[in-house]
Amino acid sequence: MTGRRASLMVTCLGDLFFPEVGVSIVRLLRRLDVAVDVPAGQTCCGLPLFNSGYHADAAAVARRTVELFQHSEHVVVPSGSCAWMIKHEYPGLLSGTPLARAAGELASRTHEFSQFIVRVLGVTEFTAAVPGRLTYHDSCHLLRGLHESQSPRTILGRLKGAELVPLPGADECCGFGGSFAVRLPEVSSQILAKKLANVESTGAGCLVACDAGCLMQMGGGLKRAKSRVRALHLAELLDGSR
Amino acid sequence: MSDAELATPFRQRAGGAMKDAFLQEALTIATTKFIGLRREAFAGFPEGEALRDQARAIKEATLQQLDHHLETLIGNVERLGGHVHYAATQAEARSIIVDIARRSGARMAVKSKSMATEEIHLNEALEAAGVTPVETDLGEYIIQLAHERPSHIIAPAIHKTKGQVAELFTRALGRPAEPDPEALTRIARGELREKFLQADLGITGANFAVADTGTVVLVTNEGNGRMVTSLPRVHVAVMGVEKVVPSFSDLMVFLAILAKSATGQKLSVYTSMVQGPRRAGELEGPEEFHLVLLDGGRIAQIDGPLREALSCLRCGACLNVCPVYRQIGGHAYGYTYPGPIGILLTAMLEGTPAVRDLAHASSLCGACADACPVRIDIPRMLIELRREIDDQKIAPWTERIAFKLLARMLQSPRLYRISAKAGRLLQRPFTRDGGIRRLPLVFGEWTRTRDLPPVAARTFQERWASDRDLRA
Amino acid sequence: MTTRVEFLERIRERVRRAPQRFQASPTRRPAHPAAEVETIRRELAERWPETLEAFRREFAAVAGVLHHVASVDMVPAVVSRIAQEHRARELVSWHPGALGVDLGSALATRGLDVHQMPGTERIGAAEAERLRALVARAALGLTGVDLAIAETGTLVLVSGPGRPRSTSLLPPCHIAVFDRTALVESLRQVGVFLEAWHGDGRPPAGGASINFITGPSRTADIELTLTRGVHGPKEVHAIFVEQPIGG
Repeated sequence: MTGRRASLMVTCLGDLFFPEVGVSIVRLLRRLDVAVDVPAGQTCCGLPLFNSGYHADAAAVARRTVELFQHSEHVVVPSGSCAWMIKHEYPGLLSGTPLARAAGELASRTHEFSQFIVRVLGVTEFTAAVPGRLTYHDSCHLLRGLHESQSPRTILGRLKGAELVPLPGADECCGFGGSFAVRLPEVSSQILAKKLANVESTGAGCLVACDAGCLMQMGGGLKRAKSRVRALHLAELLDGSR
Repeated sequence: MSDAELATPFRQRAGGAMKDAFLQEALTIATTKFIGLRREAFAGFPEGEALRDQARAIKEATLQQLDHHLETLIGNVERLGGHVHYAATQAEARSIIVDIARRSGARMAVKSKSMATEEIHLNEALEAAGVTPVETDLGEYIIQLAHERPSHIIAPAIHKTKGQVAELFTRALGRPAEPDPEALTRIARGELREKFLQADLGITGANFAVADTGTVVLVTNEGNGRMVTSLPRVHVAVMGVEKVVPSFSDLMVFLAILAKSATGQKLSVYTSMVQGPRRAGELEGPEEFHLVLLDGGRIAQIDGPLREALSCLRCGACLNVCPVYRQIGGHAYGYTYPGPIGILLTAMLEGTPAVRDLAHASSLCGACADACPVRIDIPRMLIELRREIDDQKIAPWTERIAFKLLARMLQSPRLYRISAKAGRLLQRPFTRDGGIRRLPLVFGEWTRTRDLPPVAARTFQERWASDRDLRA
Repeated sequence: MTTRVEFLERIRERVRRAPQRFQASPTRRPAHPAAEVETIRRELAERWPETLEAFRREFAAVAGVLHHVASVDMVPAVVSRIAQEHRARELVSWHPGALGVDLGSALATRGLDVHQMPGTERIGAAEAERLRALVARAALGLTGVDLAIAETGTLVLVSGPGRPRSTSLLPPCHIAVFDRTALVESLRQVGVFLEAWHGDGRPPAGGASINFITGPSRTADIELTLTRGVHGPKEVHAIFVEQPIGG
């Protein structure tokens, strides 16, 4: 054992809709000699409340989260948007409160999944669980919020059994935007249609992303179109034991 | 309730825009082109990033002493023989300009492109006062003939086909016009040249005003800005108070990044620096120069949540990268300024209730903040607006209740678990082959075009709690 | 009507209440811009060929046409050739005092109809009308150049007696004559010149307008198709004279 410990923040969407992503992350981290724990009673990071302007409620949820993870050495998050929320907005939301310092500390110990694998653990070699051609979509919060475009591509570029092809407009939004997807569904759907046209143009069999929201949006569109393209979280792609 | 009844006017306009095939093509081509041009311009310009930081700092520093810099500007404009006027509101601005027009005896005013004059709805006021306003920027000229408003901050007629422009010209001028941009440009040149030479009054906006020297700066490509500020007897420049910069040294920083951000050009064709009325011995230049300083809601934001939006250079870069703007175009927004910055400006100028729907016309992707030459954090201010809308209870009560319930649920693991179980039960009639294709109520907005994964038979936390081998 | 005092007071109140976001200052200004201008001139005098080369590249990129002649008496031949290409004869020009040289008779000899703009004399209203109509009719406009910016391919023209704005604006073909003393490398350097002209130095002329001209007039307002010569000139020529014009 490396002696490394990490807590998994599974996220609300991950917990409810994509539990297999959480399972893959646990298995992957164990294989990399990281001891994993999952603090009980997780709900959400509060981003949906925050983005819609309900900041007092978002702060209440943030307080819960900070307390829940205060003993974690590292916190690994499968979604760039949730990681961003904790790292960038928690300190501000809880400034001037007794948990201000803890929030700042949590921010520095929290990592999005691909960042944890590459930048913290320094691991970049994996075998693809799903072989063949794949393409990668940059989630907005991971790309522009956490300034991360490299870690996922490093892993994907070196993936044994897979060929990474660039996605045209990879850095363009998929149209999810949280409640935006149901507040302006026509616009959200048209943005999605353009994204999926780009995806189909790559000839890839697998679309990879690091955010549950993006995967819900793009996966939902691909399924509706009965596309042969599968939308997968990076962790699922790396977890050969499935 | 039917979908049409649920939809807001904004949603209806957006929907209409997405069904307009030409608009869709025009938007895709134009925004893609602008994005590419901007990227190229900054790729070959390594100093660009540092200059953007500097531009941000200049704007912030100027705001910190805005009264001082404006006083300096006013003193210098007057020293050069110009007159300065103070407009607290749109109505006041209109009144000041109409008054100047009346006193000048002008029957016709030539206008250079100015979003500020669009904002205050000047043209209608001039017409009502018997002064014919003639837009001379080609794009503005086209939409004036079409009785429309601009659909993009720097390319106002981007939504029009050359066929539509030819038709407009044919109807307005009484002679047939070919649907060819060269030919149409020649026609506009001829028509408007007459107007430039005859007009008594020229009206412009101002991209910048250099406080230290009383210089008003206009950035254009066509030459109409130069015409309008040199040929008529009277020149009126309308300017938001936030456009002032302290010195020429500051101005050069903005000039280095403005055109690159807007169109990818290193500089626009004409940067005109106007320093009051003509001097003794000059053949041309106005005899009277008026600077109208416009508040219209800007001043209140100096210590307000939208303060950063006061740095806007009106380059349009955020429009071009916005996934929402790119689908719906400028008219759907329904106000003078469209796109990401447009939502903030509308809130500033018309009040927060005006953006009840527009504040949510964003997926918060952040492409706008990335593209902004002065690094305005638009998404953060959009969230701030959404917060104001909730605090002021402007949001619909159904929504507020829904979010209250969500908040409750997310603060209680017990309620969260119960909700998951309830979700699993309620979704059963709608689940087919492991997917959900149709849902009622607001969730139907999702399923109209996308499948939804069902709530998992066992959530991750349930599996972790019960699966020994997962925990081991 | 809002008064200045009320207006500024409203701003002052808000400025006082606003929390400072971060320490920010405007751009550092040259303490002695005129002296710095001299330094820039001295340094540029040594590398004017490189600066000219950079200017040529950027000028061409904005569809400007650069000509290079050895001395100022070769300028009329170039102008005449341009006029012939346009099948035109009417040319308006800055006053010789502003150009730094009198090309009137040399141009007339080549068949051009030359109208030089008046210098510092007072112009009556009728004369001004006549001149305006003349300039509006002319095919060619001949001016000097106060600064030629290599970074962007820009010509900077200051207005004043003898150097009206319309000469470089109304005729469809603008021809600008300059020598090495006008060449500068960057926008940053131009900032120093502007500070000097308005500070401890003096501007090249006493007019109320300074124009930066970067190529011919253009628009892409119709279907993003680029067209030139919308309101301003359709063509811009710059004639670089190797031997400094003033002598």
